[in-house]
Amino acid sequence: MARGRVDACEQSAGIYATVSIHQPNGPEFVSIVRTDPCVLGWTESPGRLAGRPLEEWNAAYAKVESYFNALRVRNKVLLGQLVALVIERAMRRARTTPERSASELAAEEMDHVVTEWFAEVLQEPPTNRDQMLSTRGRLALLLADMPGRWQDQFLRPGPWPEEFLQAMRDAYLRAGPDFQLSQMTPRPLDLGPIATLNSIARVRYSKMIGIWLLFAALLVLLFVLTH
Amino acid sequence: MSSPASPPVIVHLPVLRRGVRIFLFFSCAVLLTGVVSLMFADLLWRTGWSTSRTVLLVLFILLFLLVAIGCVHGLFGFLLRVFGDRARITRFADYAQQSIAGTSTAIIIPIYNEDVPRVYEGIRATYESLRATGQLERFDFFILSDSTDPDKWIEEESRWHALIRDLGALGRIYYRRRCNNEAKKSGNVRDFLNTWGRRYRYFICFDADSLMRGETIVRLVQMMEANPQVGLIQTVPALVNAESLFGRIQQFANRLYAPVFITGLNYWTLSIGNYWGHNAIIRTEPFMQFCDLPQLPGRKPFGGQILSHDFVEAALMLKENWRVWLACDLEGSYEEGPQGLIENAQRDRRWCQGNLQHAMLLFAKGLRGVSRIHLLLGIFGYLSSPLWLLFMLTYCWIRWSHEWSELSDITVGAFTPWLSGISATAHGFLIFLLCMGALFLPKVLAIVELALDARRRKAFGGVVKVTYSAIAETLFSALHAPLQMLWHTQFVVTILLGLGVNWGVQNRGADGTGWLHALRRHWWHMLVGIIWGGLVLWLDPGVFWWFSPVLAGLVLAVPLSVLTNRSELGRRAGDLGLFVTPEETHPPEEIALLRERLWKLGAEGALTPRPPDSGLADAVLDPYVNAIHVSLLREQRLHPAYAAAMNRIAAQPGDAQALAERLLAQGPAALSASEKLRLLSDPTVMSWLHRQAWMRPGHTLALWWQKAIRRYAR
Repeated sequence: MARGRVDACEQSAGIYATVSIHQPNGPEFVSIVRTDPCVLGWTESPGRLAGRPLEEWNAAYAKVESYFNALRVRNKVLLGQLVALVIERAMRRARTTPERSASELAAEEMDHVVTEWFAEVLQEPPTNRDQMLSTRGRLALLLADMPGRWQDQFLRPGPWPEEFLQAMRDAYLRAGPDFQLSQMTPRPLDLGPIATLNSIARVRYSKMIGIWLLFAALLVLLFVLTH
Repeated sequence: MSSPASPPVIVHLPVLRRGVRIFLFFSCAVLLTGVVSLMFADLLWRTGWSTSRTVLLVLFILLFLLVAIGCVHGLFGFLLRVFGDRARITRFADYAQQSIAGTSTAIIIPIYNEDVPRVYEGIRATYESLRATGQLERFDFFILSDSTDPDKWIEEESRWHALIRDLGALGRIYYRRRCNNEAKKSGNVRDFLNTWGRRYRYFICFDADSLMRGETIVRLVQMMEANPQVGLIQTVPALVNAESLFGRIQQFANRLYAPVFITGLNYWTLSIGNYWGHNAIIRTEPFMQFCDLPQLPGRKPFGGQILSHDFVEAALMLKENWRVWLACDLEGSYEEGPQGLIENAQRDRRWCQGNLQHAMLLFAKGLRGVSRIHLLLGIFGYLSSPLWLLFMLTYCWIRWSHEWSELSDITVGAFTPWLSGISATAHGFLIFLLCMGALFLPKVLAIVELALDARRRKAFGGVVKVTYSAIAETLFSALHAPLQMLWHTQFVVTILLGLGVNWGVQNRGADGTGWLHALRRHWWHMLVGIIWGGLVLWLDPGVFWWFSPVLAGLVLAVPLSVLTNRSELGRRAGDLGLFVTPEETHPPEEIALLRERLWKLGAEGALTPRPPDSGLADAVLDPYVNAIHVSLLREQRLHPAYAAAMNRIAAQPGDAQALAERLLAQGPAALSASEKLRLLSDPTVMSWLHRQAWMRPGHTLALWWQKAIRRYAR
């Protein structure tokens, strides 16, 4: 951990705090620290955490970590802290919802944490109806280049750097310019003699065979008359 | 390319001279055909006239006329390249100083289940090249997808985003996918024009494998600005990036012979040229007004949608007195060709149907005579194969009936006085030499023309190597031609009978065509070759040796197909200095960039084929791919026509939510391709799927999803 001056310490949801540290000759460092050690259930019997077996929490951890990996949070310190944040929230709920698995709770908490953060950053109320906010938020993360430039801001409580906020709120994927609708229509084209041939081609096969037979009979008649 | 430093001489060509050129050009071809056909008729006369000989003569005249037209193209092209011809679009106005400040041009790239990295890297190279001209802001790029493969669709979207991020091209390179691919490529282009066409004064149509130099694109716009009567300018794309032996032979032939042929073509087409469907700039307004394609009456294969739209669009443009030019001397326009015999035939199968369909338009009222010539030459490009086969079969029939009659070979004197002094054998040999001369003269002239041009000579690796390469190319063409003959005959017959040809999926081995796949495609060529060869040998051993080049191509079809599709052999030929092209010895920047990027992607493993349904997995699981996909679908809904099409998809029988549940519970294998497309077309369901796939406990998901999620673990 870098040594530096603690600039701000903000409490959020009562379970963790974000500490901003200024290093004398380095960038601002942000750390999320646990504030409620009892949540982990250190007082329980061996092999269990928050009323669940350790293996269950391991699976939950892996799933949350996979999702953040999918969001390209590549910094291992930040990744570990974010996963811990979600797992802690899940552990708090675990005590009151014994029927749910640790993975389910962790996945739900992950969804809540991410969606609430999107709502705050994008200044949009969260709706559970069509996941519009989640989609917009993920797109904004991508277009604002969170994985490249702003990993330390992801899921961090505000205030956020103005440039980051602007990039998130202005993010819009423009797949095409404004429509200028019109309707091309083919001009009539007279195919000439082909059109006549085509109308012959439409004659029913039975009729066509009849015509050919008549023609053949005419030829036979001509042959007979001339020989 | 004409230098911008030396302004071209402005030339105005009177209409009369245009007519004189057409008359002179085709008169030469007809004269040549007349002379050689007369000699052939005389030869037939000497051996005794019969009905079958009349058939043989008619076929000979038709076939030789096509050869003569090719020969005259080569001859005129050679003379014009050596002595110069000012009647070119690049010389018609001082376009190099023409400002394009007020113009807007769309570069459209219609794609259909293509190799996505190759397409996008081609766009990147063109974009970078255009940026270097300083005129980028006058251009917008449109990737117009008609892809029906779900994985391709998702890959196109993901790579599109990566491309615009890398290039900083958001709002400059656009992506649009149609919900249905009605009317195929022409429908795709029409859809673009109906949606955005009015925003752009010009559009440049690319093929999936097209690439153009930025400077060339700017020059095309300048030419259009300088020539307001011109509706379309077609460039001559050079074949590039071939790796297989077949591809490199075709590429070499294209680069060596095309300049001579195309200059000959430009001699008679001038401002009444043709459109080849891509690498061309088009004036949007007249195109939208006059070039929407009518539905042809009647049943398939001739009725319905016009398949080969380009020739017809040029004909419609000319019909309304807009000019269509071929920029025969403009460099910096490229495309790629098929890498094997079978892929080449697959492409021919599509083109054959489209060209035969043009027969419906041959007598359409109002079309210019020259448009009818273009259409007719296109039709005979494929009809010539069955005619050639018929010619050889008729000859065999004549020989067989002669043998069967047990009459002795008695020849009479020639009716042409100047041939009366030579024997029938010498007479026949003279005709053979004339035919070979007409066939090979353009190739010889192309080499001579190259020898006279120091810059091109060096770029091709020297005259000696070019000569060796041309001889090898000619030998290969001699073996390939009979295969083309049988294939084209098969295509023509099946199309006329309204039958389809099932090509299935190309079975590629580690390096090109596999032996088994080649055997499946070519067994009947070999069989025809063996039976035909046996019959001719039994009939007349002397004739057998004259037939041997044709028979060899058929009998050796399998090894020919397999070996020429190998990249290793292509490389070895290159090491020997064979089939070298200017783009290989002195790669232009845009080609070098494309190759470098593709090499880099290959080294990173980005070109390795992904497992089936990878695209679907990304669209559901990857938070960003899902977000891009859903937001594109939502944006598409703003377009009334797309929204209606999406509603139609949503209204298909079956519940989308139930499909989505099945996808999660049983994996993609439980869904058909159309069901997957249906889910992928629904933004609400796709958002829901993303959330559910990550939130549901693992045991409620199909094993396939569990594995897919595990791929994100590190």
